[in-house]
Amino acid sequence: MTVWLILIAAAIGTYLIRISGVVLLRDPERIPEPVQRALRMVAPAAMGAIIINSLFLDAGEWRSFGAWHIAALVAIAVALWRRSQGWSMLAGAAAFAVLLIAGL
Amino acid sequence: MSDPIPARPTRLGVGPQQRTDAWAGLKAIGPLMPGSALFGMAFGAVVRVAGIDPWAGMFASVSVVAGASQIAIVEAIRTGAPAIIAVITALIINARFALYSAALAPIWAAFPRRWRFGLAYLMTDQAAVVSLQNADAYPDPVRRRWFTVGAALPFVAIWWVGTAVGILLGPVIPAEWQIGFIVPLMFIAVMVPGLKRPAEFVTILVAGAVVLGGKDWPFGLNVFFGIIAGITAGAMFEPWWDKRRGAREGNDPLPGTDPLPEVGP
Repeated sequence: MTVWLILIAAAIGTYLIRISGVVLLRDPERIPEPVQRALRMVAPAAMGAIIINSLFLDAGEWRSFGAWHIAALVAIAVALWRRSQGWSMLAGAAAFAVLLIAGL
Repeated sequence: MSDPIPARPTRLGVGPQQRTDAWAGLKAIGPLMPGSALFGMAFGAVVRVAGIDPWAGMFASVSVVAGASQIAIVEAIRTGAPAIIAVITALIINARFALYSAALAPIWAAFPRRWRFGLAYLMTDQAAVVSLQNADAYPDPVRRRWFTVGAALPFVAIWWVGTAVGILLGPVIPAEWQIGFIVPLMFIAVMVPGLKRPAEFVTILVAGAVVLGGKDWPFGLNVFFGIIAGITAGAMFEPWWDKRRGAREGNDPLPGTDPLPEVGP
């Protein structure tokens, strides 16, 4: 039950965020620069936090070093090199598969 | 590019010109569609791994339509976080849509109200970027809105299909495959290729330090405060860095040149 309430609240809140500018603004300059700057940092902060949390922690304990970390490094290296989402995914998934098969 | 709309023999009320424009939108977002499908499957599988009601998982993709926040909600539920923490974390992650919404406001200003309200619901990171990048090619608002819906709707539809497939396949994927790795991998693929600003690296480092430092905090609060700390650090670092660089090079500080991060669904 709680799960449904969480989802309904998140859905309504997210939709209100999505229509905020479209409904209220005709001129994007009206968002003050400091707020814009903070909003630009939301994506790297959120994704960075989730990446690091899932990579280094497992159910509240440190994840022992292995396939997860190495494959993630491969994905990051390819992402910075090719600047491509597809290649990054592919390289990370391939590296992870090889490492699992190798027994890491 | 923008011929006036010809007299239209319609099929289901949609004329050939509209179909052409919608098809062009679909082609523009096409290369990003596999990512949406894969991410949807990953989310569906993660829902099953967390032991959450499959229907709730499907409902999340249909109602919230924002993958990163949906995964954060699932993680919060899995770790027994209070509902309010789950909701606030999700809304902070989705606060970035306010930027898109503001950027799209002038581009959509001439659309009928129901189109603006409908397209806002479909507005993912990718669709927003495609819509912004192609706005100039479609000065006619009618053609522009059909192009936009052609990009936005299929991208979300494939997200729903992916979620359903992931929910169905989740239980049959062997545990040894460690499907959970898709969570960091997907976010790395979505975020890292677009990283340019030094402030973004500061943001990630600070967020990561708080996440790991708060390892023993309950309820996924380490992620919650990690995000807050990262945003704060990045937003404070950037003006300082710009000023410093401006002073060193004797230039005016560069304002934020690229208005939008290119990030995931």
